[in-house]
Amino acid sequence: MSVTAHQTEAHVRALHARRPRSRFLRFSMGFFVLLMAASWFFGDFDPADTFSSRRGANFERFAGEVRPYPLHDEPWDWSVAATWAGERLESGVSKEGSPGGLESAIGTLAISVLAIVIAALASLVFCWFAARNVAAPEPFAPSAAPPSRTRRWLWRGVVGITRLVLILLRSMPEYILAYLIMSMVGSPAWPAVLALAIHNTGILGRLNAETVENVDVKPLVALRGLGASRTRIAAVGIWPAILPRFLLYFFYRWETCVREATVLGILGLASLGWLIDEAQVAFKYDEMVFFILLGVLLVLGGDLVSAVCRRLVRRAS
Amino acid sequence: MIMPGTASGFRLEGVTVRFGELAALQDIDLAIAPGDAVALVGPSGAGKSTLLRLLNGMVRPSAGSVHVNGDVLAELSRAGLKRVRASIGFVHQDLSLIPNLRVIQNVLAGRLGRQGLLVSARSMLFPRRADAARAYEILERVGIPEKLYERTDSLSGGQQQRVALARALFQQPVALLADEPVSSVDPARARDTVELLTRVSREEGLTLVMSIHNLELARACFPRLVGLRQGRIVFDRSREEVGDDEFHALYDLEAAEMLADGA
Amino acid sequence: MEPSASPARPFPLRTRGAVLLALLVAGGWAFAYLDLSFGDLVPNEGGLDIAGRFFGRAFSPALTSEADFVPEGTPPLLVASLAALKTTIVYAAAAMSLSLLLGLFLGFFASTAWWAGDPVGGRTLLGRTLAPAIYGFTRVLIGFMRSVHEVLWAVLFLAAFGLTPLSAVFAIAIPYGGTLAKIFSEMIDEAPRGPALALRGAGASGIQVFFFGLVPRALPDMMAYAFYRFECALRSSAVLGFFGYETIGREIEQAFDGTNYGEVWTHLYVLMAVIVLFDWWSGQLRKRFVA
Repeated sequence: MSVTAHQTEAHVRALHARRPRSRFLRFSMGFFVLLMAASWFFGDFDPADTFSSRRGANFERFAGEVRPYPLHDEPWDWSVAATWAGERLESGVSKEGSPGGLESAIGTLAISVLAIVIAALASLVFCWFAARNVAAPEPFAPSAAPPSRTRRWLWRGVVGITRLVLILLRSMPEYILAYLIMSMVGSPAWPAVLALAIHNTGILGRLNAETVENVDVKPLVALRGLGASRTRIAAVGIWPAILPRFLLYFFYRWETCVREATVLGILGLASLGWLIDEAQVAFKYDEMVFFILLGVLLVLGGDLVSAVCRRLVRRAS
Repeated sequence: MIMPGTASGFRLEGVTVRFGELAALQDIDLAIAPGDAVALVGPSGAGKSTLLRLLNGMVRPSAGSVHVNGDVLAELSRAGLKRVRASIGFVHQDLSLIPNLRVIQNVLAGRLGRQGLLVSARSMLFPRRADAARAYEILERVGIPEKLYERTDSLSGGQQQRVALARALFQQPVALLADEPVSSVDPARARDTVELLTRVSREEGLTLVMSIHNLELARACFPRLVGLRQGRIVFDRSREEVGDDEFHALYDLEAAEMLADGA
Repeated sequence: MEPSASPARPFPLRTRGAVLLALLVAGGWAFAYLDLSFGDLVPNEGGLDIAGRFFGRAFSPALTSEADFVPEGTPPLLVASLAALKTTIVYAAAAMSLSLLLGLFLGFFASTAWWAGDPVGGRTLLGRTLAPAIYGFTRVLIGFMRSVHEVLWAVLFLAAFGLTPLSAVFAIAIPYGGTLAKIFSEMIDEAPRGPALALRGAGASGIQVFFFGLVPRALPDMMAYAFYRFECALRSSAVLGFFGYETIGREIEQAFDGTNYGEVWTHLYVLMAVIVLFDWWSGQLRKRFVA
């Protein structure tokens, strides 16, 4: 090897040795990869049990019972199946006092809509206090005298506390929230609505606060220079600018609300999940699967509406 | 068949390119000998980018034929077209680098066309010592060897331009095409970059075709200038023959002056 | 944490008013349909009693078991809580490892970029026929996977196989795999095409362009999203405790049913602490690596 080749290699090695690397990223990656690998050793996953003949038999029985009841031991007949499906939509689980499938599906939809509207409105209250550019002693001030230390700390406290509240709101799974609220609020729909609303307020509040922080400040500085108050800047300068993003997030979260609302009925609340649970408890697996599939249609429909709305928002902005 | 290390010649015969209704190029005849350095000049929208993309087979002519080193591109098999593309380096206007990769990976990506999937995956993820050394040498030629392992987006605009050139050179090309490589840098830096490109092509014996907005710069650095306007060749002269008339023909300065006088 | 959009132009005043009005009308319809009243929000006497006793313990979570009768050999409260937390994390991590594999595999086929073809060469016969079919099938498959909620997958698996830890993992992995595949494929398809075309022009094949021109650009976003989903998986895993699995949800349910509200808060705080940690962690990663 020639001298220059040696030199080149030495240079390359030296550069490689001091290449910029992020310890934080590598640690995070390593940690999660290890965690995922380790989980397979620490969990009591017993494949021998999962794939045992007992479970196989269980599954065969289940597969048989998934067929609509009138067709259990009959050859498949579409008209019979359709009649049966119509009955399920009309009268729900074959049991006294059950709400119809269609009615429950619309109820699920209503729960998701009310929850996301409440969450959106609540997040519009929170987001200003969580945004560092608005919740500041002198927001967008072009050349104000430096604010006093107390006022600086006061506003920093406001931001910190709001963010903490938002993080706590979203840390709880909707299902657990609904379970806790259920015993305190008697009505069948409020716990589901509130649980979804609380969780999504935390999420939308954070997302909207980020949008507020990323807003273009030039027009706001001008407004401030004209002597506009903080509230006025928020209403006139920021709100119109964040609205498109606000709507995009609104529809994204609404999609998940539909999904979650379906499930919350399992707790005994007024949604499709109630029918699914009733059917499961009575071992009517045909009806259970039917209502799960009805939920699939509802979710897919919601996704479609949301996608269309988001496209409209993108096009309009 | 193109041999690495042999400069590549280009010939366009009666080439027209239409995008839908719009004719980007009309009835172009142009021959570029191996080892030549040619500047394409003209206003934006004249068809310079389209012409360059014809030369490395990224645009198909609607009529006429494109010859690269004796091969007619339209007659080549997929593999043949791939081989031609792999032999031609291209420096894009927007550089087309991947900003969140390291410089070495962007440079190594130049050779993908000569490698299979698995070999390229290995060398992109864990560059061989020899590859790293070659990348280093090429970066040395373009003046930024110490950036080998930096993240590409941490580099300045001018440095990123050099990375794009290094990627093209790592292809071991026989020709170098450059599409407005200096449109977004300041004049002093622009001259450096164009001189770097012409010098490197000369030293390596590469054919160089560059589109360039700035007529002065083109005249200073290239022996031959081809003027394009509205999809047609307006002139094809050596630099000594390009004067004010050609300049006017491209940019229609008289019309612009008349407008200014009337105002 | 959610797929982001480019900053947008503000809406005109009329549109803004209409949007707000539409929100309120939608909310009003739902309110009326559900036959709700604000009166129902005020708990009845029993509910008030529970609420009082429950929130009364918010700042004094239990440190030892509060049950009247503690069977022999029951582990201390904090040990039980942490053990349930461990199971929660283990299920979530195992499910994420599966859903990441699923998401990467299906996300490849669910993107349009891998079969987009050459700008000049057109598509091969395979690219014209088989590839769109695979693409369409994958989109339908992931649509179905994600439109059944993980809890419903768990209910299905319970009915089909009975209670086994693996079915909890699969219940989370299936919908999460579908969601990751969808988001990954969108991120790859939305990556700038310039570098990809440049590699094409240098003779790279379609697959090479996909893996070295598009994926690297989308990778930081994909990783940040995967971290966010991990946090979601923790919540899902906790909820599965309500269906018989040994995650922290089961501890919460049992303590609440036994009216041991101090214990409920202990478990809630343990769960919240981990989720807040993960939330902060993925936020930091996003802040540093996704500009």
